[in-house]
Amino acid sequence: MTSRIVILAVVARPLYLVILLASVWVLLRGHDEPGGGFIGGLMAVSATILWAVAHGTAAARARLPLGDALWPAVIGLLLAALSGVPGLLGGGAYLTHLWWTLALGPAELKLSTVLLFDIGVYLAVWGALAGYALALLAVDERDQPGGAP
Amino acid sequence: MSVAGRTLFTLAPLTALVAVLWVLGTQTLPFDFGWDWIPALDIELAFRIDGLSALMLLMITGVGVAVFVYAGGYLSGHPDQKRAYLLLSLFMVAMIGCVTADHVLVLFVFWEGTSLLSFLLVGFYHERRESRKSAQQSLLVTGTGGLILLAGFIVLGQAVGSYRLSEIIVAVPAMAPTPALTLAMGLVLIGAFTKSAQFPFHFWLPNAMAAPTPVSAYLHSATMVKLGVYLLARLDPAFGEWPLWVWLLKGVGSVTAAWGMVLALRERDLKRILAWSTVATLGTLVVLVGLRGESASLAVGALLLAHALYKAPLFFVAGNIDHGAGTRLIDRLGGLRRQMPWTAAAALLAAASLAGLPLSFGFVAKDVISEAKGLGEVFTFARMANTVFGTIAVAVAGITAVRVFWLRVPPGGVREAHEGGAALVLPPLLLGLVGVVLGVYPLLAQDLLAAAAAAMSPAGAGNAVPAPLDPQPDLGSLLLGLMFGVAVFLLWDRCHRGLEWLAVRTGRIGMSSVYERSLEWIPRVAAWTTRRMQTGSLPAYVAWVLASVVLALGVMLWLGSAEWTWPARAVPSPGVAGAAGLIVLGAVFACLMRDRLVVLLSVGLIGYGSAVMFLFLGAPDVAYTQFTMETVFVIVAAAVLLKLRRMGLDRAVPEPAWRPGALLLSLLVASVLTALLLAVYATPFDPVLSAFFGEQSVPGAYGRNVVNVILVDFRALDTLGEVAVVVLSLLAALPILQAWRRRARARRPGVGT
Amino acid sequence: MIWAVAAAVWITLASGVYLCLSRDVFRVALGLAVVGAGVNLALLASGRLGAGLPAVVPKGEQLLVGASNPLPQALVLTAIVIGFALVCFSLALVLGLIRDAGTDDALELRAAEPVPGDEVKPPQTDPAHAPDWPPEGRP
Repeated sequence: MTSRIVILAVVARPLYLVILLASVWVLLRGHDEPGGGFIGGLMAVSATILWAVAHGTAAARARLPLGDALWPAVIGLLLAALSGVPGLLGGGAYLTHLWWTLALGPAELKLSTVLLFDIGVYLAVWGALAGYALALLAVDERDQPGGAP
Repeated sequence: MSVAGRTLFTLAPLTALVAVLWVLGTQTLPFDFGWDWIPALDIELAFRIDGLSALMLLMITGVGVAVFVYAGGYLSGHPDQKRAYLLLSLFMVAMIGCVTADHVLVLFVFWEGTSLLSFLLVGFYHERRESRKSAQQSLLVTGTGGLILLAGFIVLGQAVGSYRLSEIIVAVPAMAPTPALTLAMGLVLIGAFTKSAQFPFHFWLPNAMAAPTPVSAYLHSATMVKLGVYLLARLDPAFGEWPLWVWLLKGVGSVTAAWGMVLALRERDLKRILAWSTVATLGTLVVLVGLRGESASLAVGALLLAHALYKAPLFFVAGNIDHGAGTRLIDRLGGLRRQMPWTAAAALLAAASLAGLPLSFGFVAKDVISEAKGLGEVFTFARMANTVFGTIAVAVAGITAVRVFWLRVPPGGVREAHEGGAALVLPPLLLGLVGVVLGVYPLLAQDLLAAAAAAMSPAGAGNAVPAPLDPQPDLGSLLLGLMFGVAVFLLWDRCHRGLEWLAVRTGRIGMSSVYERSLEWIPRVAAWTTRRMQTGSLPAYVAWVLASVVLALGVMLWLGSAEWTWPARAVPSPGVAGAAGLIVLGAVFACLMRDRLVVLLSVGLIGYGSAVMFLFLGAPDVAYTQFTMETVFVIVAAAVLLKLRRMGLDRAVPEPAWRPGALLLSLLVASVLTALLLAVYATPFDPVLSAFFGEQSVPGAYGRNVVNVILVDFRALDTLGEVAVVVLSLLAALPILQAWRRRARARRPGVGT
Repeated sequence: MIWAVAAAVWITLASGVYLCLSRDVFRVALGLAVVGAGVNLALLASGRLGAGLPAVVPKGEQLLVGASNPLPQALVLTAIVIGFALVCFSLALVLGLIRDAGTDDALELRAAEPVPGDEVKPPQTDPAHAPDWPPEGRP
């Protein structure tokens, strides 16, 4: 292991956290400022790839929600699909979004099915594209202990 | 199949016959009825029963009853008897539809229905190779003819402005013979000629004798082959005044009549002899349709009816002989009258009609025909063809009724033979008797034939009352015909040998072998085009597709180019100009560089350049997405590339560094698409949607980032679908990549297990 | 402005198609990505180029005024993600192809219909369909 890779491995942990936090921030502010589920998801993918380059694809895969790329992808898809159901039950068309405002003292928290939908997109993009990226990156890995499954 | 089952099936034509009689008895002709079918295309299930339809309907259902009864005996015990009944029933329905349809497209549907069903019926003994081949041949000839007929109908309908037969025959005589009408006439003629086995499409009919005898009797006496004649007679009022129509009908019909009769002499198989004589009769019918005048129309009806009444029983007789004696070859048959007396009687009745002896309906028909020819100006060749036809008809009648039953006991004595049951004997006897009854009392058929003749006459002329069917025996010509016929009958074997000698030497130019050769050419042409189009080269395929795109878009742009103005030129902002520079740099490097890694980086440069461009065009969301995506892509693709390099595939594929053809095509594609973009840009912009999203985003969806609001709210279902596509494509790709890893590990024992 | 964008679209499409017409399947996959980028640019431009301001309603406002057209942006955004999936999928196909056929040269793919003695499509010389992969002797 060369010193370059050691440095990458050391830097990867804080960077990974920072990128993931940033991606969540981009996701949450997306409705009002540039950002949203797609961009947030792609940022999360880049965090995963950073981990894969530093520690191998198997380790990166293990750090994904529920330990595999397919889980976030499928859960995100389900979440996005289900976020349309309340609107349907409320008498609107499928994917008619509902909004609630919670007053928390001075600030107020806006909750909506739109947020659920966007989180679903975020998870699905993260899972699906990370799945692609990890599978393709794994092609180049020597079959070493600790490599990809 | 039980007797009850057979009876049940036989009820089908019986019911139809009763229904036809009821309609004829209670309604005044022509009788119209119909339902909507495809209102959008103005296609109506329109039906019309007039005199000609009534004649055809009576033959279809009447002979149908006989055939259904006969099939019960003939196919008794056959495991697929039900299938035969079902197909025959469907066939009868298709035939009824054909002769009653008033809308030409409806007629076409039923027409092709008869072709398809005749394919299944001729190929009934599907385990025999010959049978399958004959079925295929009849389907190819009549089915192709049907498609040509459809083309003709469409051209005709467009030219006339109506798809109703009843309106076409009124409208066409008033129209000038435009090229479109002439084309339509030619196409319709080809369709009718294939169906009615006219020269040069005559060869399929005798081969179709591979069918079971009831099927042959039905298809080739009363129904399917008569359809062509029916259609010609139906359209005769429309085109009857056209010299081309008249001459084509007379010419083709005469050749077919003469040629069919001569070829009948070649055969040894009873059914094939009858088949050729059917071809000849069809030719005569076509000539009669071509002749002008009321009595010609009357003759068409009379011969249609007479032929159905004698040919069906003769087929039944041939089937009985096959059934009872085990062969249909006339060399091995003779003196069967003792074993098969009833069949012999039926054969005599029917053959008398075929030969045109007095007191048979054939004689009446013959009389009307000669009257028709006497009235109209007569084509000499048609008269000669008719003479040949009449002569050999007598001979054929002799062969089928006299020779096999009374004469020529073959060496080794009379074959073991036995008479079939009532189901085999009654149908031919009954039909033969009807022929004789109508021969003795021709006035019974007078109204029917007169109505049919009126339907075949041009509008307005149909009021003339035709001459009553009262045959005046012209003894001289009758005796002359009989003498010639008997002579041919006696010299049959000699004629046969001579013709066989000729046929062996001229086989290659016969239509049958032309058909065979053209069949062989189909796979050859297919192989050739496949070789040329499907070269197995991926770049060639891509080039085909792209060239087609260029052609389609190019033509479209060129056609609309007069209305466009190019967008105004303006100095781009520095950001956009810089981004464009990055893109140009990346594109040029991507094309020029040989090393794959450099190409990959150049592609990445294009992506980053377009991201910068998105940013300066006011699309920050898109720009961030493109940045992140491009980074991920370059890393992933680099990993794949490194793997390829480690496998020894880093050397570029040996292709020329400079591919002018590909460059030209790529420049063309890019130019056409860019021109399309500029053309779109120059047209006025419709801001309805964008304005709606801009107005509704904050008050309606509580979001200020309009792009994101569109994605997750206004067009959320769209987004959901796209995300689902991405996830699903991963599910498709994972197995491919996992198989790769499994394989790699399997090659390295001891690792990863 | 549009002419600069059009020029970028033109050269992107041209180079992408040029790559797609290559015999090298890796290049074809890359060409797909380039064509995708060009089409995305064209799609965005077809929604008209405005002042270049982001399509974000300023705080406190109700209406989007004077910003670029948001609709093509939304379409292009999803197109980019789908395009990435498409290119990754074609890379997977390239790898599968190399695994099965043992070559990355599109003209050497002769497994589909090798007819002996055919001049257009020479038969596969190596009858062993499965390639020796990874090649023995190479680490």
